[in-house]
Amino acid sequence: MRAVGIILAGGNSYRMKELSNRRAIAAMPIAGSFRSIDFSLSSMANSRIQRVAVLTQYNSRSLSAHLSSSKWWDFGRKQGGLFVFPPTVTSENSFWYRGTADALYQNLEFLRNCHEPYVVIASGDGVYKLDFNKVLEYHIAKKADITVVCKRLPPGEDVSRFGVLRMNENCRIEQFEEKPMASDANTISCGIYVVRRRQLIELIEKSAEEGRFDFVRDILIRCRGVKKIYGYKIDSYWSNIASVDAYYRTNMDFLKPEVRDYFFREYPEVHSKVEDLPPAKYNPGSEVRNSLVSAGSIINGAVENSILFKNVFVGENCVIKNSIVMNDVYLGDNVHLENCIVESRDTIRANTYYNGDDGIQIVIQSDERYIL
Amino acid sequence: MIKKEMIAMLLAGGQGSRLGVLTAGLAKPAVPFGGKYRIIDFPLSNCINSGIDTVGVLTQYRPLKLNTHIGIGIPWDLDRREGGVTVLPPYEKVGKSEWYTGTANAIYQNLEYMDRYHPDYVLILSGDHIYKMDYQVMLDYHKSHGADVTLAVRPVPQEEASRFGIVAADDQGRIREFQEKPDHPKSNLASMGIYIFSWPVLRDALIALADQEGCDFGKHVLPYCFDQGKRLCAYEFGGYWKDVGTLGSYWQANMELIDIVPEFNLYEEFWKIYTKCEFLPPQYVSRDARIYRCLIGDGTEVDGDLTSSVIGCGVRIGKGARIRDSIVMNGAVIEQGAVLDRAIVAEGARIGAGAAVGCGDPVPNRLQPQIYGDGLAIISDGASVPPRVRIGRNTAVTGCTAPGDYQDGQLASGEILDKAGVVS
Repeated sequence: MRAVGIILAGGNSYRMKELSNRRAIAAMPIAGSFRSIDFSLSSMANSRIQRVAVLTQYNSRSLSAHLSSSKWWDFGRKQGGLFVFPPTVTSENSFWYRGTADALYQNLEFLRNCHEPYVVIASGDGVYKLDFNKVLEYHIAKKADITVVCKRLPPGEDVSRFGVLRMNENCRIEQFEEKPMASDANTISCGIYVVRRRQLIELIEKSAEEGRFDFVRDILIRCRGVKKIYGYKIDSYWSNIASVDAYYRTNMDFLKPEVRDYFFREYPEVHSKVEDLPPAKYNPGSEVRNSLVSAGSIINGAVENSILFKNVFVGENCVIKNSIVMNDVYLGDNVHLENCIVESRDTIRANTYYNGDDGIQIVIQSDERYIL
Repeated sequence: MIKKEMIAMLLAGGQGSRLGVLTAGLAKPAVPFGGKYRIIDFPLSNCINSGIDTVGVLTQYRPLKLNTHIGIGIPWDLDRREGGVTVLPPYEKVGKSEWYTGTANAIYQNLEYMDRYHPDYVLILSGDHIYKMDYQVMLDYHKSHGADVTLAVRPVPQEEASRFGIVAADDQGRIREFQEKPDHPKSNLASMGIYIFSWPVLRDALIALADQEGCDFGKHVLPYCFDQGKRLCAYEFGGYWKDVGTLGSYWQANMELIDIVPEFNLYEEFWKIYTKCEFLPPQYVSRDARIYRCLIGDGTEVDGDLTSSVIGCGVRIGKGARIRDSIVMNGAVIEQGAVLDRAIVAEGARIGAGAAVGCGDPVPNRLQPQIYGDGLAIISDGASVPPRVRIGRNTAVTGCTAPGDYQDGQLASGEILDKAGVVS
């Protein structure tokens, strides 16, 4: 394949609040059976990218465990492979990754040793499906130095989390603002870039010389005038989960049939690590409406407009509404939840009531769990 | 030199003819069970959970689905550098080449495979049964009793003892007598078809009986060992064990999984049943769906009413469809308004809108009453049933059927519609 993949999965966002206490954003469970990084990984694998490096840093334990084997995404083993690179101490450098460009700089040896002419850089917190070959062909046709995948958001949507850009009629990027407090443009960068490998090495080395560490602020924005940076617009579903609201909304989008069909039934598939869990069991007393239920769950209560992740036990007379219950949660009898996100491996004692009246309530509770 | 203490030989070559059209296109061990599993997953998972990492799977009848399911054994952790799972079909040799003529003949023809691992013990299993068993415990029993052969046995109700191979043992567990389906059983311990042999004993017996036509363990090898004065012991197993060899017992075993606390518990963390998982996404239950007492696999979309049923993975159940006491296997499509009652819908089958499968009074099946009893309606894999037809009980349908195949828009109870021409 002509490109090597790099996934930047080392960052944290304060907008995730307590949800990122337990795991990296790229390891956030999505839609029952997947993790956020599976979407970028699967898009790369389905685009026949054989070699991918995932750069981790913040809370990377469960992310590394998830990526322990390349076989779930069918990455090459003899040619290529799946690599996980947390920061490491060397004779020249004992810094943590000080930014996205610094993370790339500290792994420059990996980039130098690849043969592939291009690099596809993606973030680990996007939910989408993309054929990178098409982006690469566009990049080559435009003779671009860097191609940025972008999407127009519906008007009125808050863009302060994103890189906002303005293109000319030729799709050349003329303006790029990173996380502006207010902007009148609504085309945002998806955090996916295509660049020639040698070009990237050059840009990273220069940036490091100047003591600059951020790919977007220090390279992309500063090069705007001297490099040809083009935008590749996508219309398909794309969402970034790096805030509690966005995470909630993205998961709830999977209750829509068109989103489910797009991700689960349309070629190509999204792959993830397989866990061996029995089928979901609906006991008498269960009343499930408009919800997603994952393997291993046992349901004895009412679940509406909600998403149950793997191995969730719903006790009798429970009422779960508009909520996301992450994996391995035990809900005792008579638990009422509305507008909540329940953290994984929680145990909620019987007769507990949680309601996210103004916004989503994150529930973290670990009571005693008695297993017979 | 590779050495394994115990290797397992899994007999998976049988057709399972009493499962009727369910095994027309695939071997019995490959028949789906419990929503997302196949029957062979149970002995295979038992092997790896018992610490046995070398399993030979002997195939013969229609092995394609079985082979693709097993692959190189990844789901059961049986993809190993040394050992792992190996599929062993019959093969041509210089001189005498033959299909496997019996259970022991199949093992005999694979002496070379077993020799490679220089085992001390060989475990003989069949791929037909649903159970969880730690074979290591059985091996400990075999060793502590100084046995040459250990048979796993199970107590059965005295009234049913005449249906099984009965074993009479003394209070040290030493077997004193065999009885094959006896009229007057001397004990209530039935042989489960699971044996541990000390390797030299098995080897000698197989070679001595090399010319025995249709060489079978129960009929030839065990009596031979017994007559030779070998020490045969009975290992009593008290756990759940189901032979799902008939349509009735197959349906019953599936239905038992949906009890509130099922006797056979799939949810135990420490003894997982592994399978090749083809569907990953979660299941979706619509606003209008009603589900009562069911087991549902991944990737399924439910828009209808389900009662007391076992639904596989990737199934689509349309609006207003009503399913009761039925088994629906992977990839099947039940279109809107269809009604299923005591039906078994095999993989990839399609039930047209408004069709009724399993209606009316049960009448004994005209062609094969011993197979299609129990009031079930069987729709075979890949078959399709056109909209609004009515299919009675003790029936079977194969192939892509059209409205013209049905007289007066129905298939009467007791009839078989064999469009695919697979019913003998």
